[in-house]
Amino acid sequence: MPDWKQIVRKNLRVLRACSPELTEELAAHLEDSYEALLCEGMSPEVAFQRAMGPIEGRRRVWLVMRFLKEELMTRFIREAALPALLTSAAACFFHWALALDHVRSSVIWLVGGQLPLWWWCLLPIFGALGALLSRRKRGSRAQRIAASLVPSAIMGILILLLFAIGFTLSGLVNHFGSVSARVESLGVGPPGFVVIPAFFSLMGAGIAEVSTKKFGRLT
Amino acid sequence: MTSVNAQIKRGSAELAVLTLLAEHPLHGYEIAKQIEAQTGGVLCFDMASLYPMLHRLERKNWVKAEWKTLSNGRRRRCYRLTPSGRKQIAPLRAEWRAFFQALERVTGFQNA
Repeated sequence: MPDWKQIVRKNLRVLRACSPELTEELAAHLEDSYEALLCEGMSPEVAFQRAMGPIEGRRRVWLVMRFLKEELMTRFIREAALPALLTSAAACFFHWALALDHVRSSVIWLVGGQLPLWWWCLLPIFGALGALLSRRKRGSRAQRIAASLVPSAIMGILILLLFAIGFTLSGLVNHFGSVSARVESLGVGPPGFVVIPAFFSLMGAGIAEVSTKKFGRLT
Repeated sequence: MTSVNAQIKRGSAELAVLTLLAEHPLHGYEIAKQIEAQTGGVLCFDMASLYPMLHRLERKNWVKAEWKTLSNGRRRRCYRLTPSGRKQIAPLRAEWRAFFQALERVTGFQNA
């Protein structure tokens, strides 16, 4: 009797990323299919060739594509991308709201301090939000962290792009000063928009992680 | 044997699977074979269409899968309908009935 699990593992190696149960489930299907063909009176060799059909050649490519599309993409979207998007949207919205003139003056009048500081103080909430949303969708730890860090990552990418554009525009002459000035003129400072927010978001994700482990209700 | 357009197949597949599972839990191979037998081979699932769909139904919480050891000692992942999945059957049937009635009015295929 062929070892169907081994055959599936070998032929559909890429699907191991989907779920460990999938290999066993597909192997079971092939095993049933093979036995049904034997019962129809086929020789073991012919039955084996026929049973192998769905995981060979073009059909194998199609099978892998379908699974990757359904399983990985859907899971990635549910477990990481959507929570990350919501977290980013919330962080951007509050940054925009805090920057509004009347809000800024009220906040500073009420609590004093610098405005970025208040935005940073909100970031653990968004970090926790991203991590919790991802956790609710059974995201892995890496996906939970990714979901909470995406706002900072987006800002990081934007700043890198700005630098790249700055390098091109300034023709590599006095690039640091001109790029810095350009970036500062846009109100974007790398530490304030990437490193520090990432730290605060991660702190929120950490708090969410610890509290869900402790209370275990939000999963 | 009549060949059915892939889009129609895909749309009807969920209803076929849910209806079948409403009777009793089945594993993937049994689902494929029973649908093929009951439709005279018009609807037949291969692994590439069946399992992604079953997993999608599971994510929607319309079916629940659990590993069971059969009498021959083999483990199979059996799918059973959840209460939420059971509730979907009537609206899906109504949707398909409406679709076929509309098609019938346009093409008169029933009297053809």
